[in-house]
Amino acid sequence: MSALIREMRQRGEQLFARHGVPHPRLEHWKYTDIRRAIEPWLADESPETGKPAPLPEDAAFPDIDGLDAYRIRVLDDHVIEMPQELPEGVSVVSLARLLADEDVRAARLLNADEQESLFNGLVALNAARARDGVVVALADGIELERPILIQHVGTARASHLCHGLELGVNARATVIEQYATPDQVEGFTNVVSRAWLGAGARLVHVRLQQESMARMHIGRLDVCQHRDSELSSHAIALGGRISRLDLVVNLNESGASCELNGLYLTAGRQHADQHTVIEHRVPHCRSREEYRGILDGRSRAVFNGRVVVHEGAVGTDSEQRNANLLLSDRAEIDTKPELEIYHDDVRCAHGATVGQLDEAQLFYMRARGLSDAQARELLTFAFADEVLARLDVPAVRGLIERLAFAKLPYAGGELDAMLSGLEAFA
Amino acid sequence: MSVRPEDLTAKQYDAGFVTDIEQETLPPGLNEDVIRHISAKKNEPAWLLEWRLEAFRHWQGMQEPHWAHVQYEPIDYQSISYYAAPKSRADAPKSLDEVDPKLLETYEKLGIPLREQEMLAGVAVDAVFDSVSVATTFKERLAEAGVIFCPISEAVQKHPDLVREYLGSVVPQSDNFFAALNSAVFTDGSFVYVPKGVRCPMELSTYFRINASNTGQFERTLIIADEGSYVSYLEGCTAPMRDENQLHAAVVELIALDDAQIKYSTVQNWYPGDENGVGGIYNFVTKRGECRGARSKISWTQVETGSAITWKYPSCILRGDDSVGEFYSVALTKMHQQADTGTKMIHLGRRTKSTIVSKGISAGHGQQSYRGLVRIGRQAEGARNHTQCDSLLIGDQCGAHTFPYVEVKNASATMEHEATTSKISEEQLFYCRARGVSEEDAVNMIVNGFCKDVFNELPMEFAVEANRLMEVSLEGAVG
Repeated sequence: MSALIREMRQRGEQLFARHGVPHPRLEHWKYTDIRRAIEPWLADESPETGKPAPLPEDAAFPDIDGLDAYRIRVLDDHVIEMPQELPEGVSVVSLARLLADEDVRAARLLNADEQESLFNGLVALNAARARDGVVVALADGIELERPILIQHVGTARASHLCHGLELGVNARATVIEQYATPDQVEGFTNVVSRAWLGAGARLVHVRLQQESMARMHIGRLDVCQHRDSELSSHAIALGGRISRLDLVVNLNESGASCELNGLYLTAGRQHADQHTVIEHRVPHCRSREEYRGILDGRSRAVFNGRVVVHEGAVGTDSEQRNANLLLSDRAEIDTKPELEIYHDDVRCAHGATVGQLDEAQLFYMRARGLSDAQARELLTFAFADEVLARLDVPAVRGLIERLAFAKLPYAGGELDAMLSGLEAFA
Repeated sequence: MSVRPEDLTAKQYDAGFVTDIEQETLPPGLNEDVIRHISAKKNEPAWLLEWRLEAFRHWQGMQEPHWAHVQYEPIDYQSISYYAAPKSRADAPKSLDEVDPKLLETYEKLGIPLREQEMLAGVAVDAVFDSVSVATTFKERLAEAGVIFCPISEAVQKHPDLVREYLGSVVPQSDNFFAALNSAVFTDGSFVYVPKGVRCPMELSTYFRINASNTGQFERTLIIADEGSYVSYLEGCTAPMRDENQLHAAVVELIALDDAQIKYSTVQNWYPGDENGVGGIYNFVTKRGECRGARSKISWTQVETGSAITWKYPSCILRGDDSVGEFYSVALTKMHQQADTGTKMIHLGRRTKSTIVSKGISAGHGQQSYRGLVRIGRQAEGARNHTQCDSLLIGDQCGAHTFPYVEVKNASATMEHEATTSKISEEQLFYCRARGVSEEDAVNMIVNGFCKDVFNELPMEFAVEANRLMEVSLEGAVG
């Protein structure tokens, strides 16, 4: 281990020792208490001495029908499959290899700072323990047509992973992070992804979290955007007993824009927490955000969207929406759309709603012969699909739609069956 | 744009002057003896002294909160004097004629002459000069209707059962740091009781003034609207120009029983400090109302233009079924003023409704935050909330922030939150200028339009005052 990496590891340990596991007395963790759930997974396991996970032969990685992608598979915290051939100007390496060969690049990924650790101490833990991850780099001007698919499946242990996405000037890529630990499998996933978007670069980022309902998932996506770059993020949270995603976007140079789409579906006793921060640091940046949630059972979801317009960020244009549908009287939503503005020449709006299906829409459908259940099913699905419609990767969108639909508490659970059932009314 | 923040900051404080009246003041410091002294001075019953001491013991174990989006030098609670009474208290005035002429002059300078007030459209005034109420008018007409409206110290003597039943029932002694402090040392404030089925024949109003240097003022207001009654209470205040920061930690408790309505309006124009951010009042207030009965309604309206720091969240606990809570607010921060204000709407009863309209205007180096909580409890079937909070920014040094907390636990509840932030648009100004409206008038017009939804909720007397206040406050905004 190089001195630089050792320093990063030590700093991670120190920061974690200082800030520890986040608790509800911290403003950013007011509604989410992970202390008890995380305890079994905290046992000290330094990345260099920890034993590699046994690789079960039947480790089931899901397939995404109709998706032609460069595929990377990660089991626990080991990259076990890498794409064979990559176009020129594209490099995909594992963090484990970077740690051995290119410590400067690896150090950049393990560079947890005080601020981040204050927000979430598990980022520091990640810096101290992340053994592996996927680091994607696109040279200037490279436009990658096929998406990059990073699939993760875990066993009943803690996986600390750290991914890096580096897009050069005017580079374009679609990256899909899929967390698909099968049901019943306990454990703890702690992922930090860091992305750098060069001038004029464009990144479509999909984060599909469909982990086991027995698992805890803590994630962070940190994006730094340069001049005129574009980010289109789709954060989907379906699984996990407790899940949390901190999505932080830094608009560091003029003309950068981001679009954050989010969907969270919770049921049973799930707890899903989404925190987003958009930092408008410079003039003339644009941000759009829409998160939607559907809550059932005794589940609880948290949305906290923060937009900060720094002094001097002239001409900032920001909009944020959060809409929630409560299907059960035992479910709870805690939403907090925050605006912090230190400049006058800005246009910012935000909104949050919690409500039910529109009676008028239900009536419209009933009047056309749909049963009450059918009408509710359709409208609830449409509520979620409004966010998914902005995802321009049809195979992934189709998969998410099917998964989301199956989670809704209506009969059948098959999207195709529902759609064909509707054909009679067409 | 020609609205220059530096012009705004140069706006002088019109109500800055000091009335020279001899004061009987306790030496600075706070301990149990001071509380015993205050209690003894007021000839209070033993239970109240015990209640104060309990609060004080709570307070000693509490930490001053720092979560608000404001910054200030630490307050030394031992350097504050906790009691000041005008000397003339000994032979308390029986009528206005007996009131110290200098005192009356003070009110006249503020544009609220008591004599005129008396003749004006049925407004009874319970004027608080520092800590002891010195003049109360219209008592008789109120008494006819059975309404009790008096200083709380008098209520403690005359209506101890009522005070004992309701005091601290909405804001308990240990509620928060400043409420605990207030419970321990409050010196005076207003007490209102409106009996069953009575519609209070006039609007009740109190003018607060902080006068003695270095004296914190700890008001305690308690308003009880019994079944089916209605009362509208007006509160307004200005304070003289001072360099030292003055702490104001008031507590207001409202209780509305079945079918009762309380309307509480505030115009607050305390000394905001000078253009360098020196001095000014620290306004750390706990205001809370409880709709205890079914179909009751509590409405808060506030116009906040003064104080160096405002930290205030008038709240409604909607306990009764079908009860209604409202919050209308205009807050202006200029120069180095900071405000962290908003409301809490706690929906507990079925079909409870709440409306929040908050308008923030930030200019100069002003920092303003809306912080609100809407909580819809498990039992609050069919609860409804609508929140709208808009900010207007004038100048590139100011800030406007929004921190709305929404917690919903009932699937049949509906809540909406909307917020926008913008500056006065060049197009709007140009439109007005092209039609011969001066820039200053145009800004006033736009600001007044921006605040209209809230001003409409004010009683007529206050609406006029509020409009004038905004114009005066924004004077010099145009160069």
